[in-house]
Amino acid sequence: MNQIRPADAALTDWRQAALRFEAEIAKAVVGQERAIRLVTIAIFARGHVLLEGDVGVGKTTLLRAVARALGGAYERVEGTVDMMPADLIYHTYLAEDGRPRIEPGPVLRRSQDLSVFFFNEINRARPQVHSLLLRLMAERSVQAFDREYRFPHLQVFADRNRVEREETFELPAAARDRFLMEIGMEAPTDPDLRRRLAFDPRFHDTDSLVAEVAPDVIDQGAVSGIAAALQHGIHASPALEEYVVRLWSAVREPAKSGIVLPDVAMDSLVQGGASPRGIAFLIRAARVRAWLEGRDVLLPEDLRAVFHETMAHRIFLEPVYEMRRERILPEFCRAVLATVPAP
Amino acid sequence: MRARATMPPDRMPSPARIARAGILAASVLLLTALPAAAQIGAVTVRSPRPFGLFLGDRFDATVEIEAADGFAPQAASLPKPGPLTYWLDLGSVAVAPGPLRDGNRLWRLSLTYQTFYAALDVRRLDIPAFTVTFASEAARSTTSAAAEVPSWPILVSPLREVQPPPVADPTEYMRPESPVPRRDPGPARALAWAFAALGLAGLALLARDRAWWPLHRRPARAFAAAARQVRRLSARSGDESAYRDALLALHRGLDRTDGRRVMGEDLPAFLARHPAYGALAQPLDRFFAASRAAFFGRDPAAARRHWPFPDLVATARRLAAAERAGAPGRAEAAS
Repeated sequence: MNQIRPADAALTDWRQAALRFEAEIAKAVVGQERAIRLVTIAIFARGHVLLEGDVGVGKTTLLRAVARALGGAYERVEGTVDMMPADLIYHTYLAEDGRPRIEPGPVLRRSQDLSVFFFNEINRARPQVHSLLLRLMAERSVQAFDREYRFPHLQVFADRNRVEREETFELPAAARDRFLMEIGMEAPTDPDLRRRLAFDPRFHDTDSLVAEVAPDVIDQGAVSGIAAALQHGIHASPALEEYVVRLWSAVREPAKSGIVLPDVAMDSLVQGGASPRGIAFLIRAARVRAWLEGRDVLLPEDLRAVFHETMAHRIFLEPVYEMRRERILPEFCRAVLATVPAP
Repeated sequence: MRARATMPPDRMPSPARIARAGILAASVLLLTALPAAAQIGAVTVRSPRPFGLFLGDRFDATVEIEAADGFAPQAASLPKPGPLTYWLDLGSVAVAPGPLRDGNRLWRLSLTYQTFYAALDVRRLDIPAFTVTFASEAARSTTSAAAEVPSWPILVSPLREVQPPPVADPTEYMRPESPVPRRDPGPARALAWAFAALGLAGLALLARDRAWWPLHRRPARAFAAAARQVRRLSARSGDESAYRDALLALHRGLDRTDGRRVMGEDLPAFLARHPAYGALAQPLDRFFAASRAAFFGRDPAAARRHWPFPDLVATARRLAAAERAGAPGRAEAAS
């Protein structure tokens, strides 16, 4: 009963493609199976991804590999402190004849075909840029040259350096809520992998590493269709709906649900967040995960597998706890999952 | 006590006469030299106190028979315990081989008699004679010899005078019962309390082990509680909601055992953390499959078909048993 039904042969074929996609990425990025799986889930859930982690753990390499395997038009910008929204949309320069020219910038250059927009070091950009990004992510459209540009296949991947605090701008809550997932990347802990990463010259040259990834494994143009189909194809039972509602209220009112964390006053921990959009994202991502696992029913395990990445960045804590966010939130998510009964 | 004979009251025996008769009867030695049965030597009757016997007294006699080595008394020829005459019972008979002397073995018969003779004066009575047959113990031998044990006298005495002086109340002839010894109930009571305390302590330990009330809500006995609930639910096993409730009970048992929510994917990790349930990997796997089908599947009724209620009850019971067997106390005791 857990197998995909034959009627959904297209879903089965796409699942094979998705697994092949994961295998291709894993060629370039080793020891990050979880991050790769989450990125794959995000692609098939049609959600934007924010990668977060230390310097040099492979965030950019992962995103470059993903962009290559995904196919479709690809643009990349680097966040800087002096970047303005116009820099994303317009490219202004002095032409050979000495007159100023305005041409489409990185976002508009590929127009409708743009499928992967890669924003490096997003927290270095100013809030003005973030707000532009907000619309781009939420509505997949932007106003420029006095008309509206639409990007039906657009998927935004951003990365953020966790270490740097100087000259950075924290993402506003609204912008964070629009990301489907915030994936934390850590260096692999396996000693063998660490040795390989340190000594194998293959991993020293990122360009050739990314070049090993087979291009265009997935047709980005068709992903929207299959994403919609699988959202309908994965069954969620009343018991699971009940579980989600319990999870949701546990996040909003942890004290009432009996969640206890050391050194935290549970009744004044959560200020807000866990929006309906966030819960909807959680279910979308969980359905994709169920599909990748070869099931046609949604299980609590699927929700748990994507819970931290889809929910943690949407939970806003009281200011007194916000500074300790990095430490409290993983524990909080773990406690929620460990407390809410399933089924 | 039975009185089987009464004798007319004549002379009352004096103690000196009784003593003399006793000395006479104390040892009767009879040498028999039977030429036909040379295998039997001397027969000696030893009666330690053949006088001063009252109604109901028990008395012993030992008969020593010398027999040629290789001969043994036939059990069937020994006198049978039971009434011998109207006034005499034989209480018990025992025979034991004695030392070997000049090629003869000394056989010793220990006899216990009881007299019921209600004597009115001191009277001499004779213990009846009897014959003991000795047979050769050699294989396929048919040789046998008879040892004649002669009768010997005893002196019986009356308990009371022949004509007691008349009294108004016949109960005055009776003597009061000897007073019951006053015993100290202290040690017995203390022992009783000690055993009661021991019993209660044992019951408490058993209740703790089996997770009976009031020790049933312990994290260490999560499966015992789950098994109990499943057993209660099995009474209405035809009910669809009972099946779901039983699955939930097992889920909660797993959760409480692990201290977190255990989902189907966690089963290998759960078994690694709790090796006590390693033998139940397959039933637990089927449990999770049934739970998924019942709660999250498209066809909830399918769960029951694949994993019927009796299987569920049996798994719950096995989990509770594994929990008991793997309890920390037990593990320490076993190591």
